[in-house]
Amino acid sequence: MTILAVEQLSKSYNENLAVKDATFQFEQGRCVALLGPNGAGKTTILKMLAGLLKPTTGKIKFQHEKENADLRKYIGYLPQYPVFHDWMTGAEFLQYIGKLTHLSDSKAKQRTIELLDLVGISDAKNRRIGKYSGGMKQRLGIAQAIIHHPKLLLLDEPVSALDPFGRREVLEMIKKLKEDTTILFSTHVLNDAEEVSEDVIIINHGEIKVSNSIEQLRKQHQQAMIYVETNVQEKKQLQEWVNWDVVTDIVFENHSAQIIVSDIELAKQKILREIVEKNISIQKFEVGRTTLEDLFVKVVRG
Amino acid sequence: MKQWITLFKKEQLEMLRNFKWVWLPLVFIILGMTDPLSSYYMPRIIDAVGGMPEGTVIEMPTPQAAEVLLATVSQLNLLGVLIIVLASMGVIAAERKSGLAAMVLVKPIPIINYVTAKWLNVSLIGCVSLFVGYITGWYYTSVLFGTVSFELFLQSYVIFAIWYTFVLTLTIFFSAIFKVAGVAGFITLTIVISLSILTNIMGDYMIWSPAQLGDSVASLIMVGQLGDGFWLSLSVTVLLVVAMLFGATKILENKELE
Repeated sequence: MTILAVEQLSKSYNENLAVKDATFQFEQGRCVALLGPNGAGKTTILKMLAGLLKPTTGKIKFQHEKENADLRKYIGYLPQYPVFHDWMTGAEFLQYIGKLTHLSDSKAKQRTIELLDLVGISDAKNRRIGKYSGGMKQRLGIAQAIIHHPKLLLLDEPVSALDPFGRREVLEMIKKLKEDTTILFSTHVLNDAEEVSEDVIIINHGEIKVSNSIEQLRKQHQQAMIYVETNVQEKKQLQEWVNWDVVTDIVFENHSAQIIVSDIELAKQKILREIVEKNISIQKFEVGRTTLEDLFVKVVRG
Repeated sequence: MKQWITLFKKEQLEMLRNFKWVWLPLVFIILGMTDPLSSYYMPRIIDAVGGMPEGTVIEMPTPQAAEVLLATVSQLNLLGVLIIVLASMGVIAAERKSGLAAMVLVKPIPIINYVTAKWLNVSLIGCVSLFVGYITGWYYTSVLFGTVSFELFLQSYVIFAIWYTFVLTLTIFFSAIFKVAGVAGFITLTIVISLSILTNIMGDYMIWSPAQLGDSVASLIMVGQLGDGFWLSLSVTVLLVVAMLFGATKILENKELE
């Protein structure tokens, strides 16, 4: 069942189009990554969905609600830079937000304890938020976004500001959360998208370039590839391989070459034989597939 | 309603934690004491530090109790208003600027609840501060210069408090419009001062003006009667307060929160 359908959504500031005719939709229960470089319009889209920005044109339709209705009660939102009342403690803030979303006093208290535990900041619950670290604030931000069991959770760059450990933990948290709710999160890191989401929407310069499931994208865009690491002198010999039928393309980097091939078995044999015959010195030989990174880079550059 | 109470309680807690509930009343107590005490001790102060030549005799008529209380009123009307506006000009503007407004209003909260909870809270602290300041002034006046009836004091306080509420509603209104607290405060003060001056110099045309409330406070103290245009200016003030609260709500609803 489609939970959210966006049609021809645009947002302009004066003359600048931040988002241009964005059309996409996704199903209930999916975890969707909104992927794009910085300044692509990800935050603007999320803010429009959260009701913080008004679309210049276009429609947002949520389940059975009317077009462009007030969706705030269905939505949990974590901004890119969450801010809090620094004079409150973490527990106080969650209870405050819980009560604002119409939880009873006792329910708000209970939910606060649950959530502090879930996001792993129970120890700091009675500390003033002003003393929290960036990672703790991010966790508190996630907790306040899900306190009212939203049907759709919008997370704006939930892991970008975190160190590798924090990043890992928040990604694990998202995996846990997606069991209960639909998630749309923005990121500029493809690995994050590939790791936790089922669908991906790639956006650049305010336009949606790709909107598909990761599974489909892999099928359509992944190609067989042989990765050869060698030294600079030998690279010339490798260049000739482009002319072979079985090789589609070769991408050279400093000491390595990514050889995109149409038939992996045939290419493997041929290349290995060539290496032995011409006595090419290699450090590494690897058979694999291209990643979605290549697709991402192509979309962003193109 | 429960949601409104939650918002209101949060405002109260915030003003407790940042000590506004302590220092604002304190400042007002000092403001209230200044005039009766300085009028009473002025001859002695001049004697002690005035640097007058030996033998100079200064005749100073002892002021009437009502006059002293009136001086306190104008002190509270000037410095008091200034302080209370400065203390509350950021109430919405600062939250919008920091992003807290977006953080909170992305939850299903009717904007009118957000605005009125802040409004009542600010009005409450303003009127309570005014009360402690004014009653301090009244107390010292009564002790040092002779009695002004408590009933008269209470009546004039109520009118004074309505004027304060009007000023604070203006502050809230501009705090909703401008993201920079200083701009909201500046415009509020400019309007309050212009309104007072215009009301003073062309009273006939400004009979409706909320600033007439201040005149009513004065005439209540001096002659025990309300000013001419009291009921008209009271009605206009109440209407303006309601209109500005709705206006602030509508403006915030149409603002894009970042």
